[in-house]
Amino acid sequence: MGLPIPHTKLGTWLFLGTEIMFFTALVGTYIVLYFGTPNWPTDPAVTHINVVAGAINTFVLLASSYLVVVALSALQAGNLAKGKLALWAVFALGLVFLGIKAVEYKGKFDHGILPGQVAETPTQALNKTAFAVVAAVEPSINAAISGGANVDERRLMLGTELIDDDTSADRKNQLQPIRDADQAAQLFRNDILAGKVALAQASERLAILKAEPEYGHLFASVHEPTVIPAGNLFASTYFLMTGFHAIHVIVGLILFAVAIMRIGWLQSTPDRSREKPIQYVENIGLYWHLVDLVWIFLFPLIYILPGV
Amino acid sequence: MADHSHPHPNYFAVFGALCVLTAVSWFLDEANGWGMFSSRALLITLVCAVAMAKALFVLAYFMHLKFEGRWKYVLLAPTITLAIGLPIALMPDLSLDYYERDPLTGGVAGAEWTPVDSVAKSGAEG
Repeated sequence: MGLPIPHTKLGTWLFLGTEIMFFTALVGTYIVLYFGTPNWPTDPAVTHINVVAGAINTFVLLASSYLVVVALSALQAGNLAKGKLALWAVFALGLVFLGIKAVEYKGKFDHGILPGQVAETPTQALNKTAFAVVAAVEPSINAAISGGANVDERRLMLGTELIDDDTSADRKNQLQPIRDADQAAQLFRNDILAGKVALAQASERLAILKAEPEYGHLFASVHEPTVIPAGNLFASTYFLMTGFHAIHVIVGLILFAVAIMRIGWLQSTPDRSREKPIQYVENIGLYWHLVDLVWIFLFPLIYILPGV
Repeated sequence: MADHSHPHPNYFAVFGALCVLTAVSWFLDEANGWGMFSSRALLITLVCAVAMAKALFVLAYFMHLKFEGRWKYVLLAPTITLAIGLPIALMPDLSLDYYERDPLTGGVAGAEWTPVDSVAKSGAEG
C-alpha cells in the first residue's frame, strides 16, 4: 500500500505542484495582458531587455541543474567528496545567476523603469522631470543647512545666509552653486508646469542643466524624459515574474548551503546513516529543477517573444 | 529510496541537448531580426515548442519522472489543468479585442481619450 517513494519526496512533489500553479498565475496573467495590450513596449532600446543576458542565465541554470544530478549520483554511489564539490558548484552558479539578474535590475532602475513610476504620456514625463529636477537639489540643501523644519525653510535659510555679510567667503563659495542649481531647477519646473516646454525641449534643457560645470553633477540622477506607453504594465509584470523567480533562487541557495553542511557532517562522522541527507539532496534537487523549469519558460516569454 | 533498477540515463547528453535547444531558441530570435520569418504564428509556435521540449527534458530526466510510477499523472493533472485553464478563463476580459484599438494609446479607436493632467493644471508645489 502507498506510494513507492519516501514521504519527504511526496511532500516535495506536492509542494512543487503548488509552485507550478503559483508561477502559472503570474506567467498566465502576463501572457493574457500582453496579448490584450496593443501598445506593449517591445523595443529593446526602450525596455532594456538584453537577450544575451537572458540566454547566459538560461545556460547557467541548466548547468546548475545538471550539476545537481551529478551531485546526487555521486552521493548515491558513495562518493561524498565529489557530491559536495558538485553542490558547491551549483551554489556558485546560483550566485552567478543572481549577479547577472542584479545587473539587469540596475539597468532598469537607472532608466526609471519601475512599476508605477513610468511616464506613459508626454505630460506625465514632463511632470516627472519637473519634480525630479527640484528634488535632485534638495539633498545638497539638506546637507549644507542645519536646522529648519523642512526643506523649504532651509531654502530660505540658504538664501539669507548667502546675502549675509557675516558669512565667510568659503561658505559662500560652497553655498552659491547649490543656490544656482536650485534657482535653475525651480525655473525649469515652473516653465514645465506653465505649459511652456515641449518634451523635446525638456530633454535639451535637462542636458544643458547637466552640463553646467558648477552644479551639473547634482542632476546626474534625473532621468531623460521618456514616454513608454503601457510601460507600467510591462514593469509590473516583469518585476513580479523575475522577482519571485529570484526569491526562489535565493531560497534554493539557502537550502543548498544546508545540504553542503549536512554532507560535511556525513564526511566527519562516517557511521552516520546516509539515507536522510541524500534524500534531502534529492528533494532540494527537485525544487532546483523546478526553478530551472520556470526560467525555461520565462526566457522566451520575456526576452524572445515580445515584439515578434 | 527511489527505484534504481533502470540504467542511469546519460545526464551529460541531456544537458547537451538542453544547451542545443537554448541555442536554437536564441538563433530563432536572431533569425527573426534578419526577417527570416514571414509568419508570426510560426515563430511563436517554434519558440514555444523549443521551450516545451526543454521543459520535458528537465521533467523526464533531471527530475526523474520518466522512471516514476503513475502517481506523477495524479499530481500533475490538476496542476496542468489549472495552468492552461486560468489564462483561458482570463482571456475574454483581458485579451480578446471586442473593439478596434488605437495602436498608439491602446484605447478604443476614435474615442475621446485625454490623459489626466490634473497635476499640471493645478500647478502643485514641489
